[in-house]
Amino acid sequence: MSSNRWLATGNYFTSYKEEQRIFATSLDRSVMCAFLFVLFAWPLFFDVGNKYMLVVDNILVAVIAVIGLNLVTGFAGLISIGHAAFVGIGAYTVASFCRVLGDSHVLITHAWPLMIVVSGCMGALFGAVVGLPALRLKHLYLAIATLSFQMIFQWTINFMNFFDQGQTISVGRVFWVTGTVARNDHYLFWYYVILIVIVVLGFGVRNLLRTRYGRCLVAVRDNDRAADAMGMHPGFIKVYAFGLAGFCAGVAGALHAYLYRGVGIDSFTLHQSINYLAMAIVGGLGTLQGAFWGPLAIRVLDLQVERLSEWAGSHLTAATNLTTALRPLSFGLVIVLFLMFEPRGIANWWRIVRSYVKLWPFRY
Amino acid sequence: MSYFFQLVVSGIVVGSIYALSALGFVLIYKSSRVLNIAHGQIIAAGAFITYALTVWVGIPIYLSFAMSMVATFFLAMSVERIFLRRLIGEPIISVIMVTIGLMSILDGLIYLTPFGTENFSFPPYLPTTPITIGGVSISWTQLVGVIITFSMIAGFSWFFKKSTIGISMRAVSDDQMASMAIGISVPRVFGLAWAMAGLSAAAAGGIIGNITGLNFDTLHAFGIVVFPVVILGGLDSIQGAVVAGIIMGLIQQFASGYLDGNWGLNGTGEVMPYIILLIILLFKPHGLFGIHEIERV
Repeated sequence: MSSNRWLATGNYFTSYKEEQRIFATSLDRSVMCAFLFVLFAWPLFFDVGNKYMLVVDNILVAVIAVIGLNLVTGFAGLISIGHAAFVGIGAYTVASFCRVLGDSHVLITHAWPLMIVVSGCMGALFGAVVGLPALRLKHLYLAIATLSFQMIFQWTINFMNFFDQGQTISVGRVFWVTGTVARNDHYLFWYYVILIVIVVLGFGVRNLLRTRYGRCLVAVRDNDRAADAMGMHPGFIKVYAFGLAGFCAGVAGALHAYLYRGVGIDSFTLHQSINYLAMAIVGGLGTLQGAFWGPLAIRVLDLQVERLSEWAGSHLTAATNLTTALRPLSFGLVIVLFLMFEPRGIANWWRIVRSYVKLWPFRY
Repeated sequence: MSYFFQLVVSGIVVGSIYALSALGFVLIYKSSRVLNIAHGQIIAAGAFITYALTVWVGIPIYLSFAMSMVATFFLAMSVERIFLRRLIGEPIISVIMVTIGLMSILDGLIYLTPFGTENFSFPPYLPTTPITIGGVSISWTQLVGVIITFSMIAGFSWFFKKSTIGISMRAVSDDQMASMAIGISVPRVFGLAWAMAGLSAAAAGGIIGNITGLNFDTLHAFGIVVFPVVILGGLDSIQGAVVAGIIMGLIQQFASGYLDGNWGLNGTGEVMPYIILLIILLFKPHGLFGIHEIERV
């Protein structure tokens, strides 16, 4: 379709429609297709242990959550310090169904796609409610509102008997066409489910961002008064942004619940919220790719830090809590260093590499 | 009835500490519009330095209290100099995120010391028998803590009303351009605001450490509870921080005194400030004493 061979050398668009394309050239499209194919095919060729598959699944769930966070913080410019709570809303939606119906009720095991969507909607609902102060307030106050939502969420889970006071609530094994998903295939099965969700959500968000309903987010971030003058309602758009973020978070939460076959408060604390923010920033706020780079980078860093502190722990005798110390230290350093030296995140490196390869050998 | 007065007394004790913690927070916000999320960590650092100097080095507690205030004075000042001065003029989200990053870094540094996981308590240096008047008792550490808190708050208000540096800090928070024009160095004022915040944080930390013992979780939780306090008082008002701190302390004590155990509720004292925070944000977003910016979105 897109036939312009010279696009690599400059902007030759003749219509807005052309400029709005997701894939500028057919090469881009085929690269993307090949990449997706590789993502779907690689587990068939390598025998991956459950341990590593869990890590991969974990990264992918974080990707979904960070897509949501990126929508609200990156595109709409509203800081959310309570994103883990929204993820928790999704997970605890599944958990409360398990508490009421029993963890192997047919609704949980057979209708899990429905459960994922329901969790997403619950997340969106809570997101919009927390975003309500946006009708009157600007960013700083909103950040504090999300923080207080995080604290209220943690308290509710920790002190309510219905949620087992934050203890793990188990979720049953799901059913697929061939029967119950066995323990050995569990992580592989969820790898594919999460991957499909990411592809759907990723393209959904990418498409959303080129319609008026996505571009209004960016408009409000860049200048809310101008957006107001152009007929948008900045307050409602902010509430809507929180709703979108809540939806992604809810979906991520439900997937998290199914993946771990249990829901506990530990995965949805303030600390985890900060983790998500770190991922969004390291990846690159306001870019969709950033949502993929960030979780990858932070999780890999996390694993390396763990390995390092294990290694150090075997050499030092007194270093018992080195992991708890090194983890926040490395997070903090990564956040601060990225903000000071590369505020546009890894996505910017990707852009630089890409344009280098594209223009090679005829650089400027 | 004496139960009620007991709650009032402990509410005022807790509230005055909130006021002192919120004071530092408001100082930073007022001068440089930075929301310092790492405030709890600075409070904790102040408490730990006091403890280390008192018990490990063996300096008298009053002296080490003062020395830890000096130490956090310079700690906060260097934090501003190293991290935040580069970010002047950057979007507000980067600034907030840098303080979140700082929070993580300070967390990590504190976890490297024994203070991160273990509990310590100051050796008793005041009479341990509480004072009891008409069924209401207050311990000596609480009493001394409240006295120190109020004298510090009085000192700060004197400083902002009368001293030249204090007045220049107020000028900067009013209008940076105009204060530059009359010869005030704005970056220096930012640094000073952080330093003063560090100083008050160390004082708060020392007092909390004396009353409740040293536990990192409790101490840095104070940095988060400060948010409802400053929102209630208005983000940029020092007197608001003091009044709201005491109100919040009272609310918390009443909540845990009367609600806990009834209707299956537990730990309401922890969550009540945040519920109030959300309500305030919805109905009176600029708090009790905050400046109404005509900027509705």
